[in-house]
Amino acid sequence: MNHQTRDALASDALSQAAQEAVALAQKYASQGPRYTSYPTAPQFTNDFPLDQYERWQKSKGDHQRSPLSLYVHVPFCQDICYYCACNKIVTRESGAGRRYLDHLSREIALQADHVGHHRTRPITQMHWGGGTPTYLDEAEITELMHLLASNFRLLDKDYREYSVEIDPRTIDLDRIALLKGVGFNRISLGIQDFDPKVQKAINRAQPYSLVAPLVDRIRRHSFRSLSFDLIYGLPQQSRQTMSETLAKVIALRPDRIACYNYAHLPERFLSQRAIDRMTLPQAHEKLVMQQMIGLTLADAGYLHIGMDHYVLPEDELALAQLEGRLQRNFQGYSLQMADDILGLGVSAISQLGDFYLQNERHLDAYYARIMSGDLAIARGCKLTSEDKLRRHIIMTLICQLHLDIGECREQFGVDFERHFESALTTLRRLEADHLLHIGPAEIAVTEKGRPFLRNICMPFDAYLPKPGQGIDSQAFSATI
Amino acid sequence: MTAPLANDGDQGELQPCTHSYQVNCGNCRLNSICLPLALESDDIDQLDSIIQRSKPLQKNQHLYRESDEFQSVYAVRSGTLKAYKTTDDGREQVTGFYFPGEILGMDGISNNTHASSAKALETSAICEIPFNSLEQLSSAMPSLQRHFFQLMSREITEDQQLITLLSKNSADERVAALMLSISTRNARRKLSATQFRLPMSRVDIGNYLGLTVETVSRVFSRMQKLHILRVDNKEIEILDTDSLKGMANIGE
Repeated sequence: MNHQTRDALASDALSQAAQEAVALAQKYASQGPRYTSYPTAPQFTNDFPLDQYERWQKSKGDHQRSPLSLYVHVPFCQDICYYCACNKIVTRESGAGRRYLDHLSREIALQADHVGHHRTRPITQMHWGGGTPTYLDEAEITELMHLLASNFRLLDKDYREYSVEIDPRTIDLDRIALLKGVGFNRISLGIQDFDPKVQKAINRAQPYSLVAPLVDRIRRHSFRSLSFDLIYGLPQQSRQTMSETLAKVIALRPDRIACYNYAHLPERFLSQRAIDRMTLPQAHEKLVMQQMIGLTLADAGYLHIGMDHYVLPEDELALAQLEGRLQRNFQGYSLQMADDILGLGVSAISQLGDFYLQNERHLDAYYARIMSGDLAIARGCKLTSEDKLRRHIIMTLICQLHLDIGECREQFGVDFERHFESALTTLRRLEADHLLHIGPAEIAVTEKGRPFLRNICMPFDAYLPKPGQGIDSQAFSATI
Repeated sequence: MTAPLANDGDQGELQPCTHSYQVNCGNCRLNSICLPLALESDDIDQLDSIIQRSKPLQKNQHLYRESDEFQSVYAVRSGTLKAYKTTDDGREQVTGFYFPGEILGMDGISNNTHASSAKALETSAICEIPFNSLEQLSSAMPSLQRHFFQLMSREITEDQQLITLLSKNSADERVAALMLSISTRNARRKLSATQFRLPMSRVDIGNYLGLTVETVSRVFSRMQKLHILRVDNKEIEILDTDSLKGMANIGE
């Protein structure tokens, strides 16, 4: 693929190569999980063995000393973005942030004892997500970082990864200096799309003229990494608008770009009902846009690390992928620095040892649990040894793009070919389309197969309905 | 920016008042900088009850050292302090200067230990605000806690902006930016914005700005020739604020 292909995509008449790429995408388009965890969140239940988790957490072991990653959820947004399927609360009520911090501070103190083991575990990674973390004002941001620092062992080392999501509309340029000053070294900007008509249709007006100075300021303050989130499949989007958006994105040259496929599920997400179905791009147009993103970003020098995530070749993630130090969790791809993640705040998910745990998803329930002096854990799941094997396979494929079968055999004591006979049969069909290569010693995803990582992982997912049984189209977004 | 004019010899007037550790927040002339909020006098008394005022630090005495646990923030009542880090090869890297009315120690906030050391450049009186007591007090006075975090966020923001400015710009821009910063900070505490005495040595200035002492002196000479500054050893007079801003490359 080259400039010619990309130009062909931007014009109405598609070249043959582009047509083939789109046809392949069309063939494998189906619903599937994004595998930010395995088992995925729909498998979490409220009757999981919490007592076993608590016993494990109190027991002696590496988990009392090993590095820990923190996720802090700030659920509030000032305005509603129609496409959004995140757990959030749209409010401008003054004091909302204050009230949240008052509760969060209690949870932080409790979890610092339970999981942080009294400031023993170094916090190598931290991420503030939402909602909109920058919904909090300057004083609240400073206070929250102080709360975390006085309860956990935060690091001032260069290698730490402390990142925050920014809604460009909520932040003035000076705020960037504050975020740097309180210890963040990575920023993620919610861009979505630069086209004014698209922005209007999703109720998120943030012109290029607002974002460009922000990016400049972020650069001046020497953040280690800047990431953009983009979405394709939004209302009013077309290959023309996408082409212009990509040109602007490339001009700003973020280190990382994460593209998300918009899933229109108005039955599940109320705010999506504000989107006129007739303004959504057709399935075929959406596939063209997805191809175009991949080709355009490749032309601009970005590497596709998988799952619609693109990085500059000098970015640490690119290097980490080569060295097998990449991990995937609820925040997407990151460097493998800590096995455990502690989620703080309403609806936050933790990944601790063999457990996934999720806090109460509604603010009132979260507040009530915290006020009773309790942790706010509502649902969870304990991994079986079978789950752990499958998690290893899925995460290794997504992060390293190849799986060492011998290592699987050794680590999990499994007769791979027999155990995964039906999965391998499914994968051989993908192999025929050159999406991967199955050898006696390894499974390797090809360059061509990178956009189809979900399809490659799904045969290893024991919780998906078997082929032919159909899948609940409400549960997951499209695979590509 | 307006530059309130101060009486001649204001340094002399300032000292007897602010060195005294009998002074309290209610009668401190700096409280409009430290406490720019409308506290009821009862609230000021409560705040006063947690603030610790000890004997002034003598020149070169430390207020805190790198890696000390973060327990308090400090307000400068008189004098000047410098903050510095020690690099891996044992050299001193100056990271900031703090003048009366300014709060320091906030670099501890993001990992609960101080990221730098602070020592007095001259005799300096300090108010210590213990953070634990402040947090306890704040349940009774929620606005106070909020105020302190606001104050801290402002200091953190300004620190970062200066660090960025200094790391990116030319020698002229750096020296001009420091002179403007001192001028603005003087104005904030109702001192002369155009005439002041530098409390720090040329070595400290050079170290802070990442320039050699010779370069700092050359820039000062150039500024004198251009009639932007008058420099007499440590005494500085800003003759042309607009040109100084132009030199610092700060768009207004």
